[in-house]
Amino acid sequence: MQPCSREMQAMNSLLSPTQQIPLQDLQPNGNSGTHQAQIHNPQFDPTSSHDDFLDQMLSTLPSCSWSDLKSPWDPPKSDETPPSNHDNNVGFHYDEILASKLRQHQINGGGGGTTAAMKMMMQQQMMLPGRPIAAAGGGGLTMPLHNDIVDGSSFKSPNQQGGEGSVQALYNGFGAGSLHGTNNQSPNQPQHFHHPQGGNMQTQSFGATAGTVMNQSQASGSTTGGARAQPKQRVRARRGQATDPHSIAERLRRERIAERMKALQELVPNANKTDKASMLDEIIDYVKFLQLQVKVLSMSRLGGAAAVAPLVADMPSEGGDCVQTTAGGGGSLQRNSNGNQPSANNDSLTVTEHQVAKLMEEDMGSAMQYLQGKGLCLMPISLATAISTATCHSRNPMINKGSSSNHPLLQSNGDGPSSPSMSVLTVQSATMGNGGLDGSAKDAASVSKP
Amino acid sequence: MMNTPQQVKNPSSSLKSRFITRFLGALTKINAEDPISSPSPTRIFQRYRRIKVASNKSMAYSVRSRRIWSRAMLSRFRSRRSAFSGRRSSVKTTNCTTINVTINENKTAKGGLDMQTDELRELVPGGEAMDVCNLLDETAHYIKCLTTQVQVMRKIVDFCHLSK
Repeated sequence: MQPCSREMQAMNSLLSPTQQIPLQDLQPNGNSGTHQAQIHNPQFDPTSSHDDFLDQMLSTLPSCSWSDLKSPWDPPKSDETPPSNHDNNVGFHYDEILASKLRQHQINGGGGGTTAAMKMMMQQQMMLPGRPIAAAGGGGLTMPLHNDIVDGSSFKSPNQQGGEGSVQALYNGFGAGSLHGTNNQSPNQPQHFHHPQGGNMQTQSFGATAGTVMNQSQASGSTTGGARAQPKQRVRARRGQATDPHSIAERLRRERIAERMKALQELVPNANKTDKASMLDEIIDYVKFLQLQVKVLSMSRLGGAAAVAPLVADMPSEGGDCVQTTAGGGGSLQRNSNGNQPSANNDSLTVTEHQVAKLMEEDMGSAMQYLQGKGLCLMPISLATAISTATCHSRNPMINKGSSSNHPLLQSNGDGPSSPSMSVLTVQSATMGNGGLDGSAKDAASVSKP
Repeated sequence: MMNTPQQVKNPSSSLKSRFITRFLGALTKINAEDPISSPSPTRIFQRYRRIKVASNKSMAYSVRSRRIWSRAMLSRFRSRRSAFSGRRSSVKTTNCTTINVTINENKTAKGGLDMQTDELRELVPGGEAMDVCNLLDETAHYIKCLTTQVQVMRKIVDFCHLSK
């Protein structure tokens, strides 16, 4: 522990009595010779969630390090002035100590068991609302401290030399100390972090986070550091935060899944669902829809326009056969088309109609797409009636989809609709924006969807 | 059918342009092999299948092996092709075996969402051998590629219809 003690003394000498004020200031009952007394500051918020955690971390601490750390805090204990401007210096010196401690612990083979817990805590504190600085600081803070420690998951190992300066800069940010406390991967570290925490305490209004970290520090019996003393010694897991590495890994996994779900939400339309299950349902439906669209488009793309003619031409038998084969071939179209051929001989558009009917039972959007491929579209009955009344009767047959029924029936030119609820309207896609029609069809689709 | 130089190197070489190039090449090939004016339904159906496969294949090739789903799709095509030619090629199932453990873990952990996850696995190619996290990731990319595919195909269809 030689290098550590040397640095401790260097720090001690560098620190003037005023600089050590933050630590003293934190304790209402003045400075005491023992650090234990400093720890138990009644002002401190009794958030004991981290106590167990820190306890277990610090249980593996070699005792010598504590004594080394204790020394600098003993002498100066009289001032009361808040040296907010000294925090930087204090923090900076802490950095050196921390760095040295870190190196030392690496040499000793630090315990990696607490790594996950530390990371979790750090992340927790980073996630806390109102702690943007902490989050930013934490993110940058982790880097310099983990330089040599093998950390497979989230943190890189930057050069420690370069990191110290940045670490010092981060001390200005709130929660830097607490993050420090959570960042270290060895049980040795928390004690170092308590000092900077103490330094930062008075200048920043720590919430529960800092309180909990301070709890850990104090509960562990570390030196001064603690602004808010904790009467309890045990470190208990915070509410919603477990110390078990498995549950932490589980939480990480859940967070990752949540981000992916968010990314998917942006891709999928109608993604206003908050429920994960309904969101997944939406995603599944959308993937099915897209796959179906590819199938439909490849069907209508049969060698260009000429091949589309057989589908809509006046060859009902062939068209019917075609529909049958495609229905049989398309994996998702599980309809038996045999039953849908009654009016095939009568209507030139029956083939399309049945195809659309099948598609509609699958997904409204795909049916819409199919119609559009043929220059048809779907629209709500209200709009269609409005258009029909406005334009009287056009040459083209009218195709209209009622929101209540899923089975459109085609009508030949000018004939009345076979069923009162359905009429078919043909609109050239060029005349009406595809996007607008898509929207209306989608709206109708969403209404009629069970 | 519009002529497209198959050797053209798209400067942007985005996924879309790669897919367009490949797909149009495949289409011209299909049109060359198959006379357009074959009215027999079976021919039409075969043609439809061929186009669909060409479309999916083009997309998978455009993504190459960067994604699990594209790799699975490509291996599926290859095995299918070799099956046609009478040879049984060893499908790349090595990935699946090692990941089964994680799949079971995730299933128990997810609880009520297992049904949807399984369904998603069936939809996304190669989804059986993925844990939920990767599955969602692959789904996102797959959706993106599918939308590109649909966009391009629709444009081609519109073009064909316009030129009618």
